[in-house]
Amino acid sequence: MATKKKRTHNSQNSSWVAITAESAIDTHKDGEPAFVTLRRPTTDAASLYLFSSGDVQLYEVKAFNEDCHSWFIGQTVQRDGRLLYITPMDPLYLMLPYLVKAANEGKFQPLDQVVMDEEFPACSRLLSCTRSLSSVHHIAEEKEVGSRKFHRYSQEKTMQWLSKKVERTVTALKRSNISVGEGVKSRTYVRVKTESDTNDEDYLRYAHGLVSEYINEDLSNVLLKHLQLPEVLSPKETEPPSKKRKLSEKPVEAGEDFSKFNSADFARKPPKKMTAAQRTLAKVDKSGMKTMSAFFSPKVKAERK
Amino acid sequence: MDLGDFEADNSVSCRLTSEIPDICTSEDCCLGIDEAGRGPVLGPMVYGICFCPVSRKEQLKDLKVADSKTLTEAERENLFQNISDAKDFVGWALQILSPNTISTSMLQRSKYNLNALSHDAAIGLVQYALDSGVQLKEVFVDTVGPAEKYEEKLSQCFPGLEVTVRPKADSLFPIVSAASICAKVARDHAVKGWSFTEDLGEVDTDYGSGYPGDPKTKAWLLKYQDPVFGYPQFVRFSWSTAKNLMDSKGSAVYWDDDEEDGEKAAARQNNTSMLSFCNRSTGSTAHGAAHQSHRFFTERRLQGLGAL
Amino acid sequence: MACNSSVTHVQLSTMGKAERTTVHLMPCEIEHNGSAQVSQYFTSTIKDRKQEKTVSFRGRGLRGAELSCPQGYTGLVLKEVNPNGSDQEDRTVKVSSTFDKLTYWNLETPPNSDDMVVMAMDWPELAEAIHGAVED
Repeated sequence: MATKKKRTHNSQNSSWVAITAESAIDTHKDGEPAFVTLRRPTTDAASLYLFSSGDVQLYEVKAFNEDCHSWFIGQTVQRDGRLLYITPMDPLYLMLPYLVKAANEGKFQPLDQVVMDEEFPACSRLLSCTRSLSSVHHIAEEKEVGSRKFHRYSQEKTMQWLSKKVERTVTALKRSNISVGEGVKSRTYVRVKTESDTNDEDYLRYAHGLVSEYINEDLSNVLLKHLQLPEVLSPKETEPPSKKRKLSEKPVEAGEDFSKFNSADFARKPPKKMTAAQRTLAKVDKSGMKTMSAFFSPKVKAERK
Repeated sequence: MDLGDFEADNSVSCRLTSEIPDICTSEDCCLGIDEAGRGPVLGPMVYGICFCPVSRKEQLKDLKVADSKTLTEAERENLFQNISDAKDFVGWALQILSPNTISTSMLQRSKYNLNALSHDAAIGLVQYALDSGVQLKEVFVDTVGPAEKYEEKLSQCFPGLEVTVRPKADSLFPIVSAASICAKVARDHAVKGWSFTEDLGEVDTDYGSGYPGDPKTKAWLLKYQDPVFGYPQFVRFSWSTAKNLMDSKGSAVYWDDDEEDGEKAAARQNNTSMLSFCNRSTGSTAHGAAHQSHRFFTERRLQGLGAL
Repeated sequence: MACNSSVTHVQLSTMGKAERTTVHLMPCEIEHNGSAQVSQYFTSTIKDRKQEKTVSFRGRGLRGAELSCPQGYTGLVLKEVNPNGSDQEDRTVKVSSTFDKLTYWNLETPPNSDDMVVMAMDWPELAEAIHGAVED
């Protein structure tokens, strides 16, 4: 080709294509929805969110972004080929880091003194969300003095709350046929196999990974232990490249310890208590799956007791 | 000649055929192959075969078929009529490669060049004749490319046939001339009666010869050029004439399989580093880089946004 | 850092006037923002084949399929009202049009459920699970 194309950076973006939860754009409410930036718990970096009219609900903004894409919209071209998703977001995830931080002081405090951030002024709007006040007891202890409420972060409550999140996520993953087993990439070609070959630990770990998109690394690690999932080599390492092992093989991280104990050991020492997520899993049809207990490595057991 | 089947969808390749004369299924036959419309930047390319019993070769000469290039359009029409009238011993078949087929094949991810495209069309037509029960013995082919290689390819495909590939075969072998006339007439009709699927209103049909060098053709290309879409599907986008006009006057378009030259790769790298810079600069930097998204998101190309 | 406090308001009143539009996600980057003869050159040439739609753009063969917005979701095209405003002010976007399905196009490969954009449609349902209220 004679002329060389030079791809320039697309800087003047003034239009966006978005798939939006209808509740976010309810026209019956007063006020206008607003995009704001808030601190993202995993990275501490600015991230884009949306408040619905009157700050009643919080939404997260994500972008589907494949290289070399553009839109035709009616009789126009939009060079930016991203597709935004505006989906409901639990405001507790964003309040959590502020509560954790305040917990260092050890005392009960009014939320409006805790959930504030000079760098991200919009964060106090989180308290206007209907769900923030009605569900903050999931992550904090509450005290009422007169007409005022005071809160103090509770890790125990938070873990229970997060476990329920994981539990819900596992159910959704199973329902929507999302392949959580490693090495399963194609729905079209391998789907039939995924159901029976993917084990519960895969689901649990996958759901834990998804919830960990909304909490910081420390909490993510505590949650991992709480779910009695063996720690992987590097906790932040997202799963190894899928080609490494086949679906039918035992998980690498558990494999090492497998030889060290037998089922008799387990009969004597069953895991003390099941987490909420495990109870759900216990209810589902496990024919052809390994039992949960088969995945508790001695290392984790030792840490629990 | 009825091009109805092609006109119903002129974005794809289409085969038109005559009845197979009974005699061709019982007697040894010869077959000629020629093409029409290889060079033009506009319209389809047509591959044609004509066949008749070897014993009736001489009678073909009585139909006065000759090299179609030396004939006017009206003369070709008449000769095609003669061929049609001889349907008791002459059969034909055509493969119309739409300009869209030519563009999309030649510009395909795994490139499919015009020679391969036309060879495959020819092979497909010979196979059609065999499948229809024509007792083929001899095949004569006109070519613009290197004759030996083509002859070898065809002989390999059809081991039982005696294949002769020659430049100017259409003036040497009457059966090739006949094929040439069928192909040319089809091409003439297709161009003349082109129905634009684009919604362009009344289209000026003064496109000249369709050859890139023809000033009329060039003027037409300029007139119907669109900065975003390029041209109607009537134009072969893979022709350098069309490409160069687009490069100079159209919006740049990037595909994920574009060949990256050094300059472009550098520009692209710049972009990514700019992007990562933007991501970092939108918030406090300390932990930003460490977090890696869960594979649910990376596998779906979903990412958070720092700003609208 | 000023951007962390910037707010972009969505003019919901524009929803009423926003027209339904057709959107196509193209497998190429087109260095253009603005009007184009989409219906004349593109939409009119789309063919509905058995398992897919076909069309070509700039001489390249595209194969595509329609994708509906998930239940409870709607497609919006947002446009900045005053794109050249100063950094200090709040920004405003309006809803310029809406859609409930999109057509995505692959370069030469037939559309199937492994296509990235199809997979990405898993997100809303999963987001509801991760973010929905948990029972007490």
